[in-house]
Amino acid sequence: MTSAAIRLEQVTKTFDGRVVAVDAVTLDIAAGEFFSLLGPSGCGKTTSLRMIAGFDHPDSGRIHVGGRDITDLPVHRRDMGMVFQSYALFPHRTVAENVAFGLRMREVPKPEIVRRVQAALAQVALTGLEGRKPSQLSGGQQQRVALARALVVEPPVLLCDEPLGALDRKLRQQMQFELKELQKRLGVTLVFVTHDQEEALAMSDRMAVMNKGKVEQVGSPTEIYEQPRTRFVADFIGEINILETAGLPRALRPEKIRLVASPDARVSGKVETANYLGGSTLLRVRAADGQSMLVRETHVGERASRAPGDAVGLTWNDHDAVTLEG
Amino acid sequence: MSGATNKRPFDAGHAAYLALNILLLVFLLAPIAIVLIFALNPTPFISFPPVGVSLRWFEKFFASDEFMNALWLSLWVASVVLALSVLIGGACALALVRGCLPGRTFLTAFFMSPLMLPAILTGLALFQAYLLVGIGRPVWGLILAHTLVAVPYVIRTTLAVLHNFDRRIEEAAAVLGASPARVFFEVTLPLIRPGVFAGGVFAFIVSFDQFPVSLFLVVPKGETLPVVLFNYMKFDLDGAIAAASMVSILLALSVVLVLERLIGLKAYVKL
Repeated sequence: MTSAAIRLEQVTKTFDGRVVAVDAVTLDIAAGEFFSLLGPSGCGKTTSLRMIAGFDHPDSGRIHVGGRDITDLPVHRRDMGMVFQSYALFPHRTVAENVAFGLRMREVPKPEIVRRVQAALAQVALTGLEGRKPSQLSGGQQQRVALARALVVEPPVLLCDEPLGALDRKLRQQMQFELKELQKRLGVTLVFVTHDQEEALAMSDRMAVMNKGKVEQVGSPTEIYEQPRTRFVADFIGEINILETAGLPRALRPEKIRLVASPDARVSGKVETANYLGGSTLLRVRAADGQSMLVRETHVGERASRAPGDAVGLTWNDHDAVTLEG
Repeated sequence: MSGATNKRPFDAGHAAYLALNILLLVFLLAPIAIVLIFALNPTPFISFPPVGVSLRWFEKFFASDEFMNALWLSLWVASVVLALSVLIGGACALALVRGCLPGRTFLTAFFMSPLMLPAILTGLALFQAYLLVGIGRPVWGLILAHTLVAVPYVIRTTLAVLHNFDRRIEEAAAVLGASPARVFFEVTLPLIRPGVFAGGVFAFIVSFDQFPVSLFLVVPKGETLPVVLFNYMKFDLDGAIAAASMVSILLALSVVLVLERLIGLKAYVKL
């Protein structure tokens, strides 16, 4: 399967002439990459995706796919695959007809359609459900049909708009693995929109964190998590402590903080609340100077369980406190 | 549901609810039952209690050229009205929802206005308009008049489907390579069709039963069934009227059933 690089160049989109949904966004997505657009609702991630798909036309800026400027190309000539959160299956058609749709539009000969539909359904483990209507399938199965329908035309680019958002947690995790494996096997460029930071961290090769129509940071999940550049990125992904030292904000992850005896402590304080999370416990510690800090205590080996009111000492390595731009 | 242990205690509210429903059904169906009794009663005038069962009024109805011509004309007009209102009403509703037209609320109200106006006024107005234009009272004028009254029904049912329409389904088709025209014929049309045809059933019945509008626009020897029945009743009041009514009811019912079979109106019974 072929894959294509995507380039957004200073792309801006305004709605109703006032609301700036996407503000001069520039992104380079490599061919064959699993790339996530992450951010809170209204950050412009979905609008960016819809502009790549061609549903929305940018007010200014250009969009290139595979080196070709597609900004003015209508949706149906862009040759992309897309999976929607609501799946958007054709309710009046069977599973096989749904999957065959894109091939029919491309005027692929009938016998080949049958063969490729079979192969696509086998790929998502749905063989045997060809004759069902979407309403007779579970959410997970509908999701797979949507995936098969998008991939059967062998698009160089697959766009996913919160595709796992409607699934329950267990199924969601399973689909995360499947989707990632499928993407690697096919080598397709995948642009994945999500507001779920864990999902983005788990699946992406690289990701862009967006806020208020702008890209705050682009990087690998490790970079984004370990080296957040702005306060927003640090705060949006996982739990964070923001320390102000010499007027500079510094970000410190709760799991980078160690609980130590008072003499070795940089900060000492009292446990206010202890949230047991199974694999770890998240403590909120009120320091002597009144500052509140989050500390993650992982449950490896022996541990003393902390209860609200316990006095604790905190320390961390300097290089774990990341200086933020603002 | 088995076992006596979980038997529900008598619930007065539930009983009242059931009773109300039964009363409503009786209220709705009683007139039809009475018509049926008169249609089968062999006395030459409408009387109660019935003295027997015969099909003589049905025979009279089907043997009468006047009734038969009117019945065929009504059926024919109603069928054309169905086709026209489905086309016009469906297109109107699409334009209202999708067209980004200025003054959409006003336009919707405007297209629905034949429903608010007493039909007798519509009939009178059209009669005068036809006279002014000098086209007389041709059958197609009658068809146009019926269509005018029937279109709002189609618009209303189609609007209902369009408001619940998930446009992502159309977007999915477009991404898969369907041009706007193909999206319309492959996805939009099949999905709104049941709503359009539910309106079509109303349109057929509105035309088939139409009296006030027709009254002004029919010519002698070219009268629809309701008008013929009305004229007949002015001089005779025998069971033939009841028989004709039964035939009308059954015809309307069979149109509903046939369309239900063909395109599945079930989903729209909820409307």
